[in-house]
Amino acid sequence: MRLDPTGAQVVTLSGELDSSNADSLKERVASIPPRPAAPLIFDLTGLRFMDSAGIAVLIGAAAKASSMSLRNPSPIIRRVLEATGLSNVLSIES
Amino acid sequence: MSSRAVTAGGTGSGYDLAGEPAAAEGPVEGVASPARPSGSLWRWRPSRVTVAALLTGLIVTGALSLTSAAVYNRNERRLLNLRVRELSLVLASTAPSTQTPLASAAELANATGGDAQKFRAFMAPYVGPGRQFTSVSLWPLGTAHLAPSTVLGKTPALASMPERAERFFRHSTRPGALNLTGFLESPHPALGFDFSAPGRARGFAVYAEKPLPANRRSKLEKNSAFSDLNYALYLGHSKRTGDVLVTSLKHLPIKGRQASDVVPFGAGVFTVVVSPNGSLGGSFFEHLPWIIALVGLLVSLAAALMTDRLARRRRYAEQLVGVLDRVAAENRDMYTEQRSIAQTLQHALLPDTLPEFAGLRVGARYVPAASGIDVGGDWYDIVAASDGQVLVMIGDVSGHGLRAATTMASLRHAALAYAAQDPSPSSVLAQLSDFVNSGPHDYFATMLCALIDVGAHRLTVASAGHLPPLVIDDDGGRFVRFDANVPIGVARKSPYLETAVSVRPNTTLIAFTDGLVERRGEVLDVGLARLRETATNVELPLEDLLIELAHGLASEGHHDDTAIVGIRWQS
Repeated sequence: MRLDPTGAQVVTLSGELDSSNADSLKERVASIPPRPAAPLIFDLTGLRFMDSAGIAVLIGAAAKASSMSLRNPSPIIRRVLEATGLSNVLSIES
Repeated sequence: MSSRAVTAGGTGSGYDLAGEPAAAEGPVEGVASPARPSGSLWRWRPSRVTVAALLTGLIVTGALSLTSAAVYNRNERRLLNLRVRELSLVLASTAPSTQTPLASAAELANATGGDAQKFRAFMAPYVGPGRQFTSVSLWPLGTAHLAPSTVLGKTPALASMPERAERFFRHSTRPGALNLTGFLESPHPALGFDFSAPGRARGFAVYAEKPLPANRRSKLEKNSAFSDLNYALYLGHSKRTGDVLVTSLKHLPIKGRQASDVVPFGAGVFTVVVSPNGSLGGSFFEHLPWIIALVGLLVSLAAALMTDRLARRRRYAEQLVGVLDRVAAENRDMYTEQRSIAQTLQHALLPDTLPEFAGLRVGARYVPAASGIDVGGDWYDIVAASDGQVLVMIGDVSGHGLRAATTMASLRHAALAYAAQDPSPSSVLAQLSDFVNSGPHDYFATMLCALIDVGAHRLTVASAGHLPPLVIDDDGGRFVRFDANVPIGVARKSPYLETAVSVRPNTTLIAFTDGLVERRGEVLDVGLARLRETATNVELPLEDLLIELAHGLASEGHHDDTAIVGIRWQS
């Protein structure tokens, strides 16, 4: 997980996001200062797996950020987002 | 007021005597830690290994030291033997310098018929103080009484011993060779040399005398080639102190390591005995056995101490392992205990028995997550809702543990309350959603509500982020198609929509949570297809079907808990 400011605030997730590391991600996200002008982007290119704990973190981040989007989720992740109806409320960019 | 229990390796780790857990302390605290190795020398009882190491070291040191000493001694003996032979050779090589002048003088005497003048002239350089001989005399051998006809230098001792002279010249001497005789008992000890030419009836004998040092002491020069030796030169083969000619020692006989050799000297012999003056092979090797002994002793002690320390450490480590084993066993017990508590809790939170409904068979199964003791957040309810209708609710709160379980409990009860007022799925979900969203929360829950009209063979479903139920009839199985809205707890922009489905007689409805179909590394659809495969085309009573589906999970080692609800129209 890296914080890579490039205009927008990009958080890159890779590997697996589950209950074992969701809490630490939540803390990292909470420590990001909210900037109204800069959107928050989660780069999910390298993320292979995400369970409900991970989804909860993303939902929480979306609630607090002024604008948030998920970048390039894998087919597996994308399907999960569709099944839970979140693909309608979270912006997903490829 | 739990006091810290200190038990010597006892049972109550972390628990005080009243059986309550010791406040916020790790389990190890309650067990007395094993005694640290003490450094005090008084209580130092060496272990077997230490003694063995020390003995081994001492034995090896002793062996090496003795070997070194033995080698040194052998070397010294060998060297001494070599040296004595060298000395003997050197001494023997001086014979000609004594023999030649006498032999020449004898020839001269025989040739000149004993001419005194010529004799004196010839022998003059050899006689006198500081010269080779103190006395040289010419003895004609043909006469009846033996007496010197010419004397140069001092009067020979032999001249005043007629019997001895008789014996010497007539019987003891060999012509053509240098003969020796000694005057060792007299107050002026001397050595006598004789030479007479062979043949011609032994014409003249030339006899010379050489004094021996007064006390027979004669030290070798410091830088002489033989300065590393003490020597004693004896006349003849004897080694008796009385027969010593010269020696460098104060006290005779020579004690200790010695070697001797016979020195041929003309027709006679000397015996030279030597002993080393110091160490022939070098003083380092003389001291080496002691050095080895000392170093070996120190090393042995050091090794023994180190071994002892290591043995102690090992004993301590073993004790520690014992403690750790005990702690691990206790942890295992606590874990098992917690797990059963969790399962009891789970059991308490879910409906014990399902109510019966006319025209329907219902069943449900809950499978906890394979690993861990955590309770999960899955739940289900099947309740009657106005006559002829049955409401099925199934949900999955995010996360694990007691928090998820208690959240689930409150959601479940809230849902039941809302359902009692208005069982329509969209209403239940909307109210639940508003209820949760109205306050702070850090979870979300997926939920499916399905209102079943038994007689009309209809079901109405609404989903808050939950997977669709499986409808199975004679034509096969298919998932209900709908667009799921967001889960409970997520900000909602639109109402929950209901989807109505008509079903055939004897249809089976399977509602489930994602634990049944989700696998790591797999797209969701694969799991859904697998479920459909397993559930359709089987003729099983509902209970058995649910058991079958649950079994399929258990063998996978699933990480999420799962709830499965089954509804079957009886007609």
